[in-house]
Amino acid sequence: MELLTQTYLLLWKDLLLELRRRDSVLTMFFFGTLLLFVFHFSFDLPPDKVAEMAPALLWLAFLFTGTLGLAQLFQAERENHCLDALLLSPLDRGALFLAKTSFNLILMLLVEIIVMPLFWILFNLSGWNLLPQLFLVTLLGTIGFCVLGTIMSALTLRARARELLLPLVLFPLMIPVILATIRCMESVLKNGEFGDAASWLKLLLGFDVIFMTVGVLIFDWVIES
Amino acid sequence: MRLTVNKLAKAYGFLWALRELNLDLPAGAFVALLGPNGAGKTTLLKLLAGLIAPTTGAIQFDGTTVTGNDPKARKQIGFLAPADHLYENLTVRENLRFFTSLYQRNDRAANIEAALETVGLAQRRDEFVGNLSSGLKCRVSIAKWQLLQPGLLLLDEPYGVLDGNGVDLLERFLRSHCEYGHIVIMASHHVSRALKLCNRAVILHQGRLSFDEAKQQPWPSFAQAFNEFLPHGESWNS
Repeated sequence: MELLTQTYLLLWKDLLLELRRRDSVLTMFFFGTLLLFVFHFSFDLPPDKVAEMAPALLWLAFLFTGTLGLAQLFQAERENHCLDALLLSPLDRGALFLAKTSFNLILMLLVEIIVMPLFWILFNLSGWNLLPQLFLVTLLGTIGFCVLGTIMSALTLRARARELLLPLVLFPLMIPVILATIRCMESVLKNGEFGDAASWLKLLLGFDVIFMTVGVLIFDWVIES
Repeated sequence: MRLTVNKLAKAYGFLWALRELNLDLPAGAFVALLGPNGAGKTTLLKLLAGLIAPTTGAIQFDGTTVTGNDPKARKQIGFLAPADHLYENLTVRENLRFFTSLYQRNDRAANIEAALETVGLAQRRDEFVGNLSSGLKCRVSIAKWQLLQPGLLLLDEPYGVLDGNGVDLLERFLRSHCEYGHIVIMASHHVSRALKLCNRAVILHQGRLSFDEAKQQPWPSFAQAFNEFLPHGESWNS
């Protein structure tokens, strides 16, 4: 119960700070939109190849956009040594992990809610009725990205070239999530259902649960190392 | 309430910042932590706060190991960094509300208002901390620790950013904090000011404890240690 109260308190603080600064969400939104337009004008996808290529392009946009958000994740804590103030307090480090993950998830979902329909329009995709299934896959993939991203962002917090280091350590570990989301989306776009890709969906769910648990348990060590 | 430091040492790579340090402070102790630059004062404060882990040795406060990651011990330790540890884009009141909630104090708004009144910031309660000067930020920090009442309060060079009124305010707060039986350790280069307040002086020199005595009047041993270990830029009057 205490863990949830502390998580809520930290999340409230982060959302309030973001509402006042708006730098993360606006940067992410503009960058995501810009990438979509670049992809749109660079690739002239034939209709029979769209279902194969579209998920990869969409996830590429989400990955780059999300990495921008992760780079800013502990910005407020870096100013005025506020991280020390948090570490000094009786705060459960697991709450800090949950709050930062939730905050990043909220930002990414806000961007995705706008970017995904835009992608749909730009690439002339048919079947708007598939959007709920695609949103489900995107949600699970985004949770995986945020969970692992928060751990890696905290690990590289004190590194000198952290903006460069973060994607280098994060992207290889994200391969299972990227593969699973792309396979699931491809299956939904081609067949209108998960079909054989259901096993990828289970992998995605398993990844989220495992790394969420691991994050809560090891964040203590991660943030202090 | 007692602080016990046993054979504490901290190395950064091959450099020993602190070596074989032992301290035993009873309730109500007010320690002036003195020493030249690079003597290990800030390292000692960070170790006592649990912000860094010692290479060897142990710290116990009120029966709990500080170096272990115990929230109960952390709740009892405060670190007053003059213009730090506050969120710039939260208002003065929001900062105080956030930190009191984090320490599960859940102070009523009236207590926060009273603390702000004490530090002379009642009129600026809704201003962003980022818009305040360093001196005013230090006053917000004083209000914060006044509300949180830690059993062990650590201060790192608090005089640098405060004006005359601010110094009076800080000293009033620290005196009353010790009267409640709490322990205060203040690192400072303002030797005469620190000695007026303290009831014990500790001098660090090249990471070693060179002097540790309760205050006396007169104090010839301190005068000797002062001449031996401290920079002579400032005069000291017993």
